[in-house]
Formats: sequence, structure tokens, C-alpha cells
Amino acid sequence: MRHMFKQFLTATAAAALLATSAMADEPKRGGTLVTVITSTPRVLNPAVQSGIATGFPGAQLFASPLRYDDSWTPQPYLAKSWEVSEDGLKVTLHLVENATFHDGQPITSEDVAFSVDVIKEYHPFKSMFAPVTSVDTPDAHTAVINLSKPHPALMLAMSGQLMSIIPKHIYGDGQDPKNHPRNNVDVVGSGPFKLVEFKNGEHIILERYDGFFMEGRPYLDKIVMRIMPDSSARAIALENGELMLAAFEAEPTLIQRLSKVKGLNITNKGYGGIGPIDWLAMNTTRGPLQDKRVRQAIAYAIDKNFILKAILRGTAVEAKTGIHPDSPLYDADVNNYPLDLDKAAALLDEAGFPMKDGKRFDLTLELAPFPGYKPQTEYIKQALSKVGINATIHSSADFPSWAKMMGTLDFDMSLDSVYNWGDPVIGVNRTYMSDNIGKGVWSNTQGYANARVDELLQMAGTENDPEKRKALYKEFQEIVADEVPIYFLNAVPMHTIYSDKVGNPPMGIWGTSSPIDMTYLKD
Amino acid sequence: MSDAPALPEETVEKARPPIAEAWEMFRKNHAAVAALVVLILIVLAAIFGPALYGTDPFDMVWAPFSPPGADGFLLGTDYLGRDLTALILSGARVSLVIGLAAALVSVFIGVTVGALAGFYRGVVEEVLMRITEFFQVLPTLLFSMVIVALFGASLPMITFAIGVVSWTAVARITRGEFLRIRELEYVTASRASGASNLKLMFKVILPNALTPIIVQSALMVGGAILFEAGLSFLGLTDPNVVSWGQIIGSNRTYILESPFTVTIPGLAIFITVLAISLVGDGLNDALNPKLRQR
Repeated sequence: MRHMFKQFLTATAAAALLATSAMADEPKRGGTLVTVITSTPRVLNPAVQSGIATGFPGAQLFASPLRYDDSWTPQPYLAKSWEVSEDGLKVTLHLVENATFHDGQPITSEDVAFSVDVIKEYHPFKSMFAPVTSVDTPDAHTAVINLSKPHPALMLAMSGQLMSIIPKHIYGDGQDPKNHPRNNVDVVGSGPFKLVEFKNGEHIILERYDGFFMEGRPYLDKIVMRIMPDSSARAIALENGELMLAAFEAEPTLIQRLSKVKGLNITNKGYGGIGPIDWLAMNTTRGPLQDKRVRQAIAYAIDKNFILKAILRGTAVEAKTGIHPDSPLYDADVNNYPLDLDKAAALLDEAGFPMKDGKRFDLTLELAPFPGYKPQTEYIKQALSKVGINATIHSSADFPSWAKMMGTLDFDMSLDSVYNWGDPVIGVNRTYMSDNIGKGVWSNTQGYANARVDELLQMAGTENDPEKRKALYKEFQEIVADEVPIYFLNAVPMHTIYSDKVGNPPMGIWGTSSPIDMTYLKD
Repeated sequence: MSDAPALPEETVEKARPPIAEAWEMFRKNHAAVAALVVLILIVLAAIFGPALYGTDPFDMVWAPFSPPGADGFLLGTDYLGRDLTALILSGARVSLVIGLAAALVSVFIGVTVGALAGFYRGVVEEVLMRITEFFQVLPTLLFSMVIVALFGASLPMITFAIGVVSWTAVARITRGEFLRIRELEYVTASRASGASNLKLMFKVILPNALTPIIVQSALMVGGAILFEAGLSFLGLTDPNVVSWGQIIGSNRTYILESPFTVTIPGLAIFITVLAISLVGDGLNDALNPKLRQR
């Protein structure tokens, strides 16, 4: 009864406030946000580790020079301003003066230079800082990044979890930064929250850092990140209010179920930066799949609508190219392959694979070793049988054996899920550049080689003019959509689920892989 | 059997054929008879069902999660809109074949090991029984998961993995029977008349030790079906064929909204395994000579 009354009060209060002004959205300080990550991060230091498990705690502990809002516009963060030289070979960062690490030491340009060195050497995304030749430090609050060629990807590479500024006086002690003991304990960060406790497999507890350089931020006093690998356990915890915020939930049934729960809100905003895409990878180096017409026929035989509506239940957005649909560089205007069995059959005939005894040829279809891809794989097998392609599903023992098979091009087809990580130079090029064929999982596992694509990606990587750059990526997307080394299916239906109590949930392009210093708890 | 001492003529005339006598005993166990009827129906459905029903179990025929009975689908449709009736019928085939084959594998291993140990005794017995104990203390599900994960989830490998972890009971029973029978006079007589060890083991002793082994193997078929269901529930299964456990495993994500996709194959497993157990129980009544005298 009392509960109901309270609900009624909040409802009326909210209505009243909505009617009058934006006063209701006035952030409030204090409170503990209980949230969740799905696996234990190897380390909390994003300078030496990629991945979303490190990203959430990592971006709270460490600040980066820039941050991005939800419209892909860079905003000042540790750098209060920045400029790019005329020739594009110098990027100057002006750091905020009052910023300190969690041990009280000032954050200086020395630390920026040191961080760039560490990331360049130890972070798995080599293309982020590859053109960086050196970092000059004319004074304590100015850092000049020198480049060997124009590198527009640097802007996104300086945000989110990708360029964490780490203290030189801690990590510069000669120990291997990748396995540094301070990566997990006594972490001295530069971000809005400091580490209280990291318990393997249980939780990470963060506390507001009072000396944070942005006035009045963060709003939260404390963040508790519980480590819960099981999605149904997370769903129950969200339903009964134990968790107030969960990001990266991508299970369609779970999203549908939670969207009906009162007091919970669901959004798919905040994943454009990470840019996860599901696709059907095809090995273009062997068998019938060498022929572009065969690959196009496969695309025509698959009913994407069935995958989007029946399997993913409308939770996912269609993807037509290798660039995430949320990205400003995305080109939705490419060659499309609506379901057309006649066209598929004609293309296969033309390619020299006539129907014999109800069959044209055999292929293997790998079952991706991460959860949630079995229905799509089963569906594609069945859809291909309709045009006479006999696909046998093969399941690997574990992730490493699948990854090895993909990395060495020892497969025909497989569903895969690959992330853009901001700029195409960071997460897209690797899939199409012919010099990256067979370099392990999530390299160019299709064995795809097209001189024009190589050239376009190369040019776009050094093109500082946004419009020209967009045009180059447009042509690239058109070629790939026409040659179909990959049949793009959908953006991974990642969703952020948050309770009514949470104000300003993270919805910038980096989602929870960016600081949540503006998130607050309502009464 | 030519070496066996001939029985007096009049006994042979008076005794009814052992099969008839066994059937007489079996019939008295009403539960077993009912279970046998059910089992025969299930086997018939598995053999002829898919052909008679006609629908390809992998074909997406209707909207996903249509409830049983709706739109002409007796058992409804699963998460891809496949006909659950067709899936259950095809699944019956795979589940029963794996159950039978795995039971055969374990009977083969178990009988061989038990016979050798019980017949030769001494060092051979010591070594073989230690090996048996080793397999007894292994966590069976984990061990078979490792085998399937290492060598690939094909039907023969799954069958082998189940068989290789569940032969120990048969081995111990066989050994026990061999230890008892090898000391009987007719065995000594055969040995004296020059029968080879192989002949003694498999022609003289084994036929007389078969009764408990048959009962145990019948029960093992049920166990193997459950085992296969467990493995496929965990995803360790050949994705190109359908079995009951696999239907449950792949539909379990949707259990809250469409529980029938999980409960129907679950019921199929339950009924089949129960029927096999009851039939095994009846067999025990029928074949166990001690009970027969009661």
C-alpha cells in the first residue's frame, strides 16, 4: 500500500515536473549505482587490454584526452582543446591544468607521451597509433603528437577506452606494462572513479574521486559492478531491482522479456562506437565460393527478414555493409539482396553449378563458438538447401580451435561477429585489406583481395577532409556489397537496460566504455 | 552344445521351452507389459514415423512458437518455426539408435573386460579391475564431454563417448558370474575334454552368465538415452541431426515464453526411459532363476 502510494507520488511528481520545465533532469549527487559486467576483465588497464570487460571499469578509472557525445562530435575531456596542423601531421593537445591522478600527482604531457608509447607497443589495436612517430612535450600541459602521415582515425582513437592516460610514475618503473601488478590492485587512475576493490569473479567496486578535474563530477558516490556471466541471472537481478543498469545485453528473448518489465528502460543507443556487426563470412579462396556469383546467390537465398524478425525478434537493426549502421560513414545505399530463389538459382547455373539430383555442391558451415548464433546457423543451412547447396554444420570444440580455423582460412562459411571500434582504420580495415589475410581470427579471414579496396582504405585512412573521406568509404562499401566476401546480416542487438531511478545513462557512442561521470540516481 | 552332458529324456519333455516360461513370468508384471506396448509403439514411430509424417524436420514451416494444436500443428513449432511433431519423430530415431548403440558398446567392453578378469584371475584380474575402478570413479558426464569436445561431436563419437564411460557395471557383473561359473563341474568337464580358453569363455561360461547381463544392458539403453540428452542439452551434439536432448537444449532459452518446446521432448525422453526401465524390471523377473522358483 505504502509502496503504491509512493509510486503514485513519484508518478504525479514526474508528470508535474515534465509539464513545467527541465528541472526534473537536474542531476543530483550521491548514491551507489549497482551495475554488472559479464566477465572478469584480465586487467583494469585499457592501455594494454582491449575488450568491453576491461572497457567499463577501465574508462571509469582512466580518463582519455577526448570524449564523444551521441552525435559523433568530439568533446573536451582531459584535453580542454586541440588542434590539427594544416598538413595533418601534428595534433596538439592542451591539457586541463588542474587534473590529478588518484594519488594526487598532476597529470602532465609527460604522462600523455608515456601512455601513447605504452598503447602503441602493448595494445592489440596496432593501427590506432601506427603513424605516430613521437610525442613532444613543450610544456607540462601541451602534448604534440607527430604523425608520419595524416591520420584522421586518431580523433576516435583518443576517446573512450582506447587512449587511457596512465601515470608514468607508476607504470614507468621498468616492469612489463602488460602484466604490471598495478593493473589490478592499487590502481592509480586519472578518471572520475577510483578503485576500492576488485574481486575476481565477484565484483569491482569503484568510488568517486574527489580530486577529479571536472567541477562537481562525478555525480555518483560509488559504482558496484557485479560480475555475472549468466544472462538469466542478470535478467532476474534486473527484474527485481538488484541491478540498476546493464549494458551489452544482446539476447533477443531477454530484451523482449525485460522490455515488458515496469520500471525498466531499454535502449540500443550507445553502441555505434564499438560498432558490433554479425555477418556470414565466406572463404573466397577455395571451392565454389571463389566465384562472386555463388556468393551473391547465397545472399539471395538467405531471407534477412527471417533472421531480423523471427530469430532476432525485431531487436536488431539490419546491417548492409562492414561499417556499423550508427556510424556517419555508413552507406545504406548499397547493393541489396532481397530473398530471391530464382535469381539465386540462375546465378548458380551461370557459375557452372547445375542442379544434379536435387543438389549443386557441398559446403561446411561453421557454428560460431559464442552463444546465440545457433538459430541463424541452422536457418542458413536450411535456406541454402532450397537452392541446392548442401551445407553441413560443423561445431568446433572450443573458441581457440574455431579461431585457428578462421585465422588459417580452413573453413567455407561461418557466422562471425566483428566490432568496428570507432574509426574504420581501427576495426574495419583488418577485415578487407589484402595484406591482412590469414593473420588470425578477426583478420581478413575471407582471403579477400581487391586492389581497389586496398587503395580506397589506404586513401581514406589519410584523408582529413570528412566529405572526401566519406566518399571513399562509400565506394569501398559499394564494392564489398557487390562482391560479397561477407554477407552482412545485422548490427548486434546490444542494449542498455536501466531502471527508472537512473538519470543520464551512458548513451554516447562509446556506451559504458566511456566515463559515466554524468550518470546520477534520482530519488 | 555337443560337449554339454545330455539331460535325461523325460525332463526335456516335461519342461516348457524357457522362452515360454520367461514370458509367463514377464506377463505377471503388468507394468512391464504396459511398458513393452508403449516401447513397441515408440520404436514403430521412430522407424516409420518420419516417412509417414512426411515433413522435413529441418524445414521452417510456420511462425515460430505456434502452440500445440494451433494451425494444424499437433505439437506446435519451435524457435525457427519447425514442426515439433516432425522433430520429435526424427529425434526418436537418433535418441533410440544412440541409446542402443551406446549400450552395445558398453556391453562389448564390459563383457570383454569382465570375462577376461573372471576367467584368468590373478594378475589379469588385478589389472583389469583396477582399470574398471578407475573408470568407476571418473565423473562420467565430464569425461564423455571431454571426449566429445576433443574428437568432435559426430554421432559415432557421441555413441563411443557414452559407451566408454558406462561399461563398468557390466564388467563387474560379468566378472562375478564368471568367478562363480568357472568353478562349476560342467566347466571343469569341458576343460578336461580339451576345450580352448576362448571356447570355454565364450561358448561354455558366457551363455550361462548372460541373464544378469541382459537385464543390465536393457537398463543401460535408458541410461544412454538420458546421457545423450544430457550431452546434447549442453550443446555437445551433431548440429546436423536432431535428437530429443538437442531439441530441449536449443529451445531452453525460450522456456519462459514457450515451455511446450522443452516439455514435449522432455516428456518423450521421460516416457521412453521409464518404459525401458519397466521392461528391464520385467526381464529381471522373467530371467532371474531365483525369482522364478518363488
